Parts: sequence; structure tokens; C-alpha cells
Amino acid sequence: MNEIVFRTDGEGFLSRVFQMIQTVIDQGHGSVALVFLIGVIFGGIVQYARVDKFEKIAGFAMLKDTIVPKMLFLAVGISSIAIYFMVEAGVAHYHIKPIILPGLIIGGILFGASMAILGKCPGTGPVSIAEGRIDVLFGAIGGILGGLVFTLFYDDIFKPLQGESLGKGILPNLFEGNEQLSVLIFGAVIILIAILIPKLEMEDEYEDKDALR
Amino acid sequence: MAHTKSNRLSWWMGGILLSLLLLLTISVFGADRPIGASTYVPYLAGVIFNLDPEHYTYLKHINNAGAWEGVMLLGVLFGGFVTSVFITKTFRFSLVPSGWKQYKNNSIFSRLSWSFFAGFIMVIGARLAGGCTSGHFLSGMSQVAISAMVFGGVVMATLIITGRLFYNVKGT
Repeated sequence: MNEIVFRTDGEGFLSRVFQMIQTVIDQGHGSVALVFLIGVIFGGIVQYARVDKFEKIAGFAMLKDTIVPKMLFLAVGISSIAIYFMVEAGVAHYHIKPIILPGLIIGGILFGASMAILGKCPGTGPVSIAEGRIDVLFGAIGGILGGLVFTLFYDDIFKPLQGESLGKGILPNLFEGNEQLSVLIFGAVIILIAILIPKLEMEDEYEDKDALR
Repeated sequence: MAHTKSNRLSWWMGGILLSLLLLLTISVFGADRPIGASTYVPYLAGVIFNLDPEHYTYLKHINNAGAWEGVMLLGVLFGGFVTSVFITKTFRFSLVPSGWKQYKNNSIFSRLSWSFFAGFIMVIGARLAGGCTSGHFLSGMSQVAISAMVFGGVVMATLIITGRLFYNVKGT
């Protein structure tokens, strides 16, 4: 029933990679160079801030390190206000994901638990692999297999499990007449949370040697 | 006490830069789409295992987003590598993080098998929810999306509960 169907056109791995690049060229969401550059800057910021470290992400799960939530909340707070006004000015569009409650809740539980154990997420994991963390490579191999299983059983298991979409609601929809104000308050509160979370850091015997003594 | 931490960005500088990158990416002058980092995983699985995209609903569904994130991923690997070698000088091969040694165990086998297992579950979870820390938390919450707030709340709670149950945090 779920046998794996391979391509029959006989194309090799490299041609499939070129096809990926061609798909980016054809879809009009920035040039290949720009998309690559966005990745370089993303990887650079994450690496330079050291938030891909096990001690930062699993450390937050243990409530012994708060750099990740402080940085993430600050970025969200600033961006939420800026993007709202960019959309109003016509220089950006909202790309909202649907509210699929079973999918969000079951997915969120699986994601949160595995993030605490791996100490990475799909955005920070590749940065850790690039800086030589072999354990994360094992996580990536598991992830690729997870992606394979999701693809193979999407129709039969995962799509039904996601449930029906309740629409693509955004916060201002709930505050009709006060749309701008609701976003401004949301952004300000998130920035305030970022500042107020006490700064905790879990030391790492390799990168914080003297700090341990 | 002399702290000789590795050269790194402060949390607020990191947050501001991440925000600027998201604003550039989502604007019509950039890519006119948000940052995401989990759709590339099933896409790459399709590329690696040579699956026929015509046969799988999901591969058809994610074709554009998966390819976009796949190219971004190449950039992330390059940017992470260059920064770790030349700026923070933190590149080194390692098998077990020091925090795992301190709060879990010293076993290489334990760390590698838990990593494999967690990676597997993580991608299933992210794809079920339709996003991850980047797509839902960073990009979604920044677009004040309700879906992102639900996901973010569930992830935060589960992350902290798992951290408490999985690691030996109480005795230290």
C-alpha cells in the first residue's frame, strides 16, 4: 500500500539538486544568490550569537540558560510591529499558516520534547553540523528519515491527524477597530518580556573555560 | 574572576540582527516570503531517496517551499562554517556536548542514539504543525498569527517539562 515509488527518468542526484535550484529560480521569491545569502546571514547570526549550542537550547529546557528566549522574543517583538506597518504600506505581505489545532498541539508536543533532548531545532541544527558537532549529524539522519516517513504516510496518517483548518487568523482580527493598537501592544509586551527574563547562562567546559573556575 | 568567553554577539544584538534579516526576507524588496527551516527536510528526503514527486501529495505540496529552504540551508551551512572557523573560532569535532555530560551521562552511544531518535520525532512534529522554531515561532509570531501562538505555547511548555524530566537538574 505504501511502497516507495522511485523516479523512472533515471536522473542522478546532481540533476535533482539542479532541479531544486531551478525551482527557486522559477518561483520568484528572490534570486538563488539572495536566498543563499539569506541562509549565510542566518547561519552567521545564529553561530555568532552561539544560540545553536546544546547548552543554550537544552539549557533553556532545564531553565539554566535564557539567551535563546531573550533573543527570540526580542526579534519577534520588533518584527511584529515592523511587519504590520510594512504590510499596511504595501511593501510586505502576510503569509499566515492555518490554525489546525490537532496538528499544532500534537506536533508542538513532539517538537518541544525532541528539542529539549536534541538541544537543536531544524534552523540551528545545520549550524551545529557546520561547526563539527557529530551528534547533531545523527539527529539530521533521524530527521531525514522522519521526513521520509511523513511523506510516505501523509495521506493515510498525518494529514487526517492534522485536522481541519480553522482559518488563518491573526491577532488584530480579534480586536476589530483597534487593529494597530493590538499589534503595538503585542510587540511591546513581547519586547518587555525579552528584557525582563532574567539572564542566565549555562557554561560550557570548552568555550567558557576560565568562567568555570 | 576573568571570563574568557568565546567571541560572541550579545542576545540583544543577535535579536536585532535576526529581526532585520526577517524584515529584509519578507519584504517585497527581498524574497516576499518568511524564513522557514523545516520544509527542507522532507524535500531533501525526496531528493536523497529519489522519490517520484508526482506520486506523493506531500512532495507536490511542498515543492516550492522545500526547494527555497533547501537553497537557504546550503547558505546556513556555509555561513555557520565560516563564522565558526574565522569569527568565533569554535569549530571542533565533538560527539557529546558538555551540558549532556554534566546533566545526563558520559555515554557516546546514549547521546548519538537519543539524537537520532529526537531528530526523527522533531521532523514529524514540525511537519504535523506546519512549521518549526523559524517558521512558526520567529516568522509566524512576527506576523501575529494565531497558529504560531498556539504552537509556541505548546512547544515552550513541553520543552520545559521535558527538560525537567529528562535531565538530572534537581540534584545539581
